[in-house]
Amino acid sequence: MRVKLACVAAAATLLCSVGLYPLFEGQGWFWSGLGAVVTVAATGLVTRRFRLPAAFDLLAGLAALHLYLTARFAAGEAFLGVVPTPSSLYALAELVETGWAEANKYAAPVPLVPGLSLLVTAGVGAVALMVDLLAVRLRRAAPAGLPLLAMYSVPAAVREESLGWPAFALGAGGFLALLLADSREQVGGWGRPVPSRFRMGATTGERLDSSALAVTGRRLGGVAIVVAVLVPMIVPGIQRDGMFGLGGDDGGGGAQTVTTPDPLVSLKRELVEQDDAVVLTYRTDDPEVAAGGRPEYLRLYALDRFDGDRWTYSELRSSATDRVRDRPLPPAPGLTSVGFRRVRTSIGIEDRVRNMTFLPVPYAPTSVDIRGDWRADAASLMVYSLRHSAGGRNYRVESTRAMPTAQQLAVGEPAPMEISRRYTRVPPNIPEAVRREARSIVGDATSAYEQAVRLQTWFTRTGGFVYDLNAPPPKHGADLVDFLLESKRGYCEQFAASMALLARILNIPARVALGYTPGTQGSDGIWTVRSRDAHAWPELYFQGAGWVRFEPTPSGVAGQGSASPPAYSEPAPAEGEPAPGDTAVPTPAATDGAQPSTAPNDPRQNRPDDPGAAGDLGSGADSGLPVAPLLAGLLVLALLITPMAGRAVTRRRRWAVRSPSPTEGAHAAWAELRADAVDHGLIWRASESPRATARRLTGQLALEPEAAEAMGRLALAEERARYAPTPAAADTLRADVATVRAAFASSVGRATRWRARLLPPSTVTALRSSAGRLLVVLDRLDATRLDRDALLRVLRRRR
Amino acid sequence: MVVGTHGEPYRGDIPADSPDSIRNGASRGLDELAQVAGKIRGAVESVIEGKPDAVRLALTVLLAEGHLLIEDVPGVGKTMLAKALARSVDGSVRRVQFTPDLLPSDITGVSAFNQESRDFEFKPGPIFANIVVGDEINRASPKTQSALLECMEERQVTVDGTTYELERPFMVIATQNPIEMEGTYPLPEAQRDRFTARISMGYPDPGAELEMLDVHGRSSPLEGLAPVAFSHDVRALIDVVRQVHVAQGVRRYAIDLITATRRHPELRLGASPRATLHLVRAARALAALEERDYVVPDDIQALAVPVLAHRLLPTAEAQVERRLPEQVVREIVDRLPVPTPHR
Repeated sequence: MRVKLACVAAAATLLCSVGLYPLFEGQGWFWSGLGAVVTVAATGLVTRRFRLPAAFDLLAGLAALHLYLTARFAAGEAFLGVVPTPSSLYALAELVETGWAEANKYAAPVPLVPGLSLLVTAGVGAVALMVDLLAVRLRRAAPAGLPLLAMYSVPAAVREESLGWPAFALGAGGFLALLLADSREQVGGWGRPVPSRFRMGATTGERLDSSALAVTGRRLGGVAIVVAVLVPMIVPGIQRDGMFGLGGDDGGGGAQTVTTPDPLVSLKRELVEQDDAVVLTYRTDDPEVAAGGRPEYLRLYALDRFDGDRWTYSELRSSATDRVRDRPLPPAPGLTSVGFRRVRTSIGIEDRVRNMTFLPVPYAPTSVDIRGDWRADAASLMVYSLRHSAGGRNYRVESTRAMPTAQQLAVGEPAPMEISRRYTRVPPNIPEAVRREARSIVGDATSAYEQAVRLQTWFTRTGGFVYDLNAPPPKHGADLVDFLLESKRGYCEQFAASMALLARILNIPARVALGYTPGTQGSDGIWTVRSRDAHAWPELYFQGAGWVRFEPTPSGVAGQGSASPPAYSEPAPAEGEPAPGDTAVPTPAATDGAQPSTAPNDPRQNRPDDPGAAGDLGSGADSGLPVAPLLAGLLVLALLITPMAGRAVTRRRRWAVRSPSPTEGAHAAWAELRADAVDHGLIWRASESPRATARRLTGQLALEPEAAEAMGRLALAEERARYAPTPAAADTLRADVATVRAAFASSVGRATRWRARLLPPSTVTALRSSAGRLLVVLDRLDATRLDRDALLRVLRRRR
Repeated sequence: MVVGTHGEPYRGDIPADSPDSIRNGASRGLDELAQVAGKIRGAVESVIEGKPDAVRLALTVLLAEGHLLIEDVPGVGKTMLAKALARSVDGSVRRVQFTPDLLPSDITGVSAFNQESRDFEFKPGPIFANIVVGDEINRASPKTQSALLECMEERQVTVDGTTYELERPFMVIATQNPIEMEGTYPLPEAQRDRFTARISMGYPDPGAELEMLDVHGRSSPLEGLAPVAFSHDVRALIDVVRQVHVAQGVRRYAIDLITATRRHPELRLGASPRATLHLVRAARALAALEERDYVVPDDIQALAVPVLAHRLLPTAEAQVERRLPEQVVREIVDRLPVPTPHR
């Protein structure tokens, strides 16, 4: 029947399912999963009574799970609320589809909509079924850990950081309990365990049971869990990315992947919004504005990856070191040699804005003053949060606004390898016609800057494009191709995506930025941004200036109203007016009384052209990073050398005694022989006398006569030293030990021989004996605990 | 049962020319012992084919001043071994065939009225001999069996208030059939405890049996067996055996072994302190036979089963599970660590 084992298996599944908590809001999923687990376990108990093949048990479990899911999620469509009907099946399928869509749409923790609840319940039920089948029906408790691990790895993969160690400990404890229950049952099946020497002394006439084994098992398991939780904290280089996110939420924290709704989808939605509601208002001290210009766009996303169909951003690897509250943001990549202005902007997001987990900030932000856990991505300088929404928040942003001149951009220094590799990647499915078109647009222009300007001009003036908000959003690569070559109708998304793509084809690093145009300025100097100001634009990379905005979308009445092409992006005749200086040399030209400065003056920007900086995930720990692996490597090396060194030291110590007595000499030689035997993987029995050992090893290894004689001499010397009234004098012991060791080495396999040299197991025996002493102490503790329990019972009785 | 599963005699592993106190002339007695023992062994083995272990153990018991119980089915040479050993030593040998109607006085002797001296005169029974062969001892009634008790342990006989000393060496070699056989009385525990060792003969292997046919087909080999040692030789040998050194660790090892039988969950009755004495004494004899002047744990291990197994009573559960005391002893020996310098 194995009722107990089945219960433990179900409990293990439930405990492991606790690890799913970071994925969902609320606790409903747990109770739902509990029902599935109980259903599966109960079905298993019933079907095992009929002693059917395991496959039938599996089928019965699946059927029961299906009934449960039907009753739980599609009761209305089912016959009698339980029996599946075609319409209930259809309802379930529909739920699965919506659940899947929801799961892909939201970042964790997701609200528990019925579809998701169905998915998680089915998942937990399936895991319970596998565990029950493996552990209880097939009696393979250890492999039953695999489905448990699979369940555990889901939250670990999605949200490493916030999976706390208690969840891990619960899951591991559940699995260990399963192993224990299984092994106890197996030991029980063997009858009474054979008493060991230790117990013979301890228990007189008392019956032995498996509890001693269970105690040992529990101890080992407990120690394993504690070690698994503690070691990552001790070992250098691991604890920052804590294996189980120890202290995860507000402490150190690990890196994690960020998932949010597709930004491009919301862009279109906002653009066609009927009420055109206010999204945010802000005030800026940008001197450009005082001079009648417009502030920088407010950027939300930078989409750096083009998969052939859509632009998306690479997975963000977030860790607590990226938090913007504690430290300035990483320097803007590539901004090294052109002038820039520092701009301060105070932004207030409207309360009604929902699900805005990325902050609109002017590029390139250097510090963001906002409450809550907001983080910055080093490569793109996007500011985002894993848990907060920006709605209703006020914050201040300091940013640098690069003021490149046409000449500076035209210098055309090559971009760092890291940048050009990552941002010029073009998927192979782009048709040759597009590539030809790109080359024909730029014509004879050679520098990247000139090519970019020609591209922009082509989009805005010469290409014959029409701004049309009614154009369908481009869903596939073919839509973009159609836009470029045929229809030429679209809105900012098509323009920005196409220009970035063409730039990439021309080997100019490019990405698509999403955000808002500056909006409109009120009489009080406050800028107001509405949902129709949502915008997409390409950012192109120029060494020295960093990421520079271009504007291929037509502006004005016939285009995106509030968009404006930056001065440097206009064709050559228009050059010169906004530039802080016409020379290509970086001069701190303080034209407008603000505080423009060149990059080298900024201490933080002394190494922005470091190619690693742009793509570096954890640039906060840049200086510490090489040290940690080095330390870890040294530690590993030291650990590897320890047994070898320990063996050498022991050998030296054994022979170190000058003119030893025959007894000491024999003992030393025999101890050495024993260590050699253990090192070579030969069995050494405590119940064998020296001569019995010598006889067995000689026969077992079929030793040569010379080695056999040496072994006999050693055995006899030790035997006489131990048991005879007068020990025998022996001078050849050391040579004999060497002979026997060589014989051992030649009679075992190569792997064993090398292990004997590099990782001699005999050094472990010292450790083991210490562990043995520790166990004795633990035994005593157990005994005292028993005493205490007895004492408590007595006291209670008196009371 | 096969004797000496653990610790076979040590042949060939220790180089013969190794430095050894025996060869250093520490004890000339051991040399003599080896010589005499070799002769006796040769004589007995000429009669009992293919049973060197049984012969060696019989000799060990003789030198340890113990008594030997030979147990096996009829016809495997129990009596032959007893008689051969008795004959090869030139001492007095008496044989008693135990039957259900045998009386105690048939063993110990009786006081008979002498008409001439007009007094009671003691007529010694067959027990007054150097070697007494008690055949099928478990066919006699318990009363008669127990008549042997005093003789075996105290080496004396008390009849009508007078105590008579027995000669040295004195050894009882008893044979018995397995208790499942018809018409047998099991030996009481006290009686079994007085036997130093119990051995089983076992069937000979085909080769030895063939040779036996050739030899026994014509005449009894016992007839041609002449004594090879005098009883005073054996007395001297026994004195040599008493000199064999037993290290502290080895003594403790023997005690550990005995204690383990007393605490073993499968044994109702463990080994007695007398068993400890017998074990160490026999180990001394075995060491001397191996020409060693000290006992090694291997001696104890080799003798553990023959010396201990017949004294142990398994629990009812162990009997149901068909566990034999021999197996238990073997397991204990396998598990008990030998004395090392650190222990």
